[in-house]
Amino acid sequence: MSERVQRRKGGGREARRAVRLEAKVPTVPYITRNVPCYEVLGEEGLAVIEAQAETILQEIGVEFRSDAEALQLWKEAGADVDGERIRFPKGLCKQLIQASAPREYTQHARNPERNVQIGGKHMVLVPAYGPPFVRNLDDGRRYANIEDFRNFIKLAYMSPYLHHSGGTVCEPVDLPVNKRHFDMVYAHMRYSDKPFMGSVTAPERAQDSVDMAKILFGEEFIQQNTVITSLINANSPLVWDATMLGALKVYARNNQACVISPFCIAGAMSPVTVAATCAQLYAEALSGMAFAQLVKPGAPVIFGTFSSSMSMQSGAPTFGTPEPQLVLYVIGALARRLGVPFRSGGGLCGSKIPDAQAAYEASNTLQHAMLAGVNFMLHTAGWLEGGLAMGYEKFIMDADQAGMIHAFLKGIDLSENGLALDAIREVGPGSHFLGCDHTLANFETAFFRSTVADNNSFEQWEADGSLDHAQRANKLWKQMLQSYEPPPIDPGVDEALQEFITRRKAEFPDSNV
Amino acid sequence: MSNEELHEEEELDLASLPDDELVQQMHDDLYDGLKEEIEEGTHILLDRGWGPVKLMNEALVAGMTIVGIDFRDGILFVPEVLLAANAMKGGMAILRPLLAATGAPPVGTAVIGTVKGDIHDIGKNLVTMMWEGAGMEVYDLGINNPVENYLEALEKHKPDIIGMSALLTTTMPYMKVVVEELVKRGIRDDYIVLVGGAPLNEEFGKAVGADAYCRDAAVAVETAKELIAARRAALAEQPIAVAA
Repeated sequence: MSERVQRRKGGGREARRAVRLEAKVPTVPYITRNVPCYEVLGEEGLAVIEAQAETILQEIGVEFRSDAEALQLWKEAGADVDGERIRFPKGLCKQLIQASAPREYTQHARNPERNVQIGGKHMVLVPAYGPPFVRNLDDGRRYANIEDFRNFIKLAYMSPYLHHSGGTVCEPVDLPVNKRHFDMVYAHMRYSDKPFMGSVTAPERAQDSVDMAKILFGEEFIQQNTVITSLINANSPLVWDATMLGALKVYARNNQACVISPFCIAGAMSPVTVAATCAQLYAEALSGMAFAQLVKPGAPVIFGTFSSSMSMQSGAPTFGTPEPQLVLYVIGALARRLGVPFRSGGGLCGSKIPDAQAAYEASNTLQHAMLAGVNFMLHTAGWLEGGLAMGYEKFIMDADQAGMIHAFLKGIDLSENGLALDAIREVGPGSHFLGCDHTLANFETAFFRSTVADNNSFEQWEADGSLDHAQRANKLWKQMLQSYEPPPIDPGVDEALQEFITRRKAEFPDSNV
Repeated sequence: MSNEELHEEEELDLASLPDDELVQQMHDDLYDGLKEEIEEGTHILLDRGWGPVKLMNEALVAGMTIVGIDFRDGILFVPEVLLAANAMKGGMAILRPLLAATGAPPVGTAVIGTVKGDIHDIGKNLVTMMWEGAGMEVYDLGINNPVENYLEALEKHKPDIIGMSALLTTTMPYMKVVVEELVKRGIRDDYIVLVGGAPLNEEFGKAVGADAYCRDAAVAVETAKELIAARRAALAEQPIAVAA
């Protein structure tokens, strides 16, 4: 080596500003956890719940309503079919699931870098699903429209900590009920390149979703690969209805995934106690996931649960409360024992506005879901008012918390760099670490940095306008939408999608029934 | 940009740059915290006949002003500003004896310390670093300083500023003890008194008789510059006879 000093131009201000102002957060397509799952019941306790679920399935049974094919499939599988009530020999559902349902699966995105791995040690964060209203600081509360729907897809696309575009991010009630799914599915395909969910409100709408996916991914590709994950809800207690079964069959036959989700408000839809709710949810989910395997062995399924408590004074569902968190832990453990991916959690809350109640209830559920080992977290961002409203500011707040989940689940780095003994040697007692080599090498990524929280001095905060959390979030979503750029799409594919939609919409009249 | 690309691009000979480009490069090098390069650039400009005042203002202080702005705006991080300040210090160490010889007033001098009973000094260290980064001469008394330490340092260094910090609500009242002692000795108005620390606020600063409360290190620089400038302007207006 020569003695001559090799100088490298660091680039100075221009280079650094370019890097920092671009504010590129290192993203991952999904989380792989390095922190173990927390459990609240031991082997013995879980076995008690499992045994009770089998008793429910055998003795009480589950109704599969208005679907003759379902009854036939169950009869052939050896279940006791009594009208629409199916009673299952002990162990049958579990056997069917364990024989063919994948422990984990890949949901492909149109951008392969966005493919997500669902199940195992992985966690996929997904926006909220279903709200008919939207709320923001500017408009207050109003019915959602297709523009809001597109906005939330854009926001999810731009959020570095959301891995999935979701499904019904809000309900575009300005469009006819029987045709809005075209615009919804198209919006996911066009305005994002993250994976998405399909329509489940009628079997033919599920089929339209699959047909559009064929255009986007290629017919052959989707028969070999999962490109849609859709949400199939049970009508607890112990009922599967024709709409949901119809959509489930379409997706399963096409090798597409379903989240088999008992939606349960304890007190009304299951007994008030945690153990009973767990056993009932498990029984319902077992029957649904086993049915998917009867339709198409190997069809990917997710063990879903949506559990809330309720106000026994008013009948309103309550969120972020302790009892549903206990349910979440038990179901997580049961899903792992069964060997299927697990869906639950989300930024759930009962609050109408992005206030302290919204923040702490959402935080409660998000943190417990993280520890419980949720694999597919629907409702991660945006949820307000028990799911009735999608909040623009709340979306930003929750997406920020999603970032913290990433940092936590990375776990603890025990490498030489993680232990940093050299730094402690270098600095010694009584000095500070702000300028030591280790700090210089690590400071940028060492701590999670919230984009919403304000940690400045009181005076600085005041000088910046004394904005509260929601006001800062309001600025952020507006900035994001302003700087949104759609991901590129093959113009031929886009044209084919639009042609398909135009043709299908012309085939039958608009209807809101 | 990868390291490799950086390598390919570089091996810059500072001496080959014309003055204006060299000054620009020094601003970049300050920003990047390159101490050796700043020292080298300082020598080159001196060799080219630059006076120390012009050199300090145009190459160094102007560069650190940019660093200060980007620190305030959240673009630069504390460790990076530390590096930049350290590079600045390297340049100033070369210029200081030359500046003294010109008789030009220094950018500013300060005595700073954490008050008696308090051993918390991270914030005070940040202020020290930022002041040095702005070209000031700073005498750091460290932690746990009784009033005698401040008096001795004032006598010895004759600074523009006396800075006091505290982290504890139980130690911050000691700032008043120091200010009252200065008043008692009739020397309070000879200095700019600046105070800072997490439990303080504007009102507390006024109550103890300080000239200003500085909420963070970046503000401490701005405040110091403003008050020194105001003080010098006021002095300049006074009749010359006083100086005798």
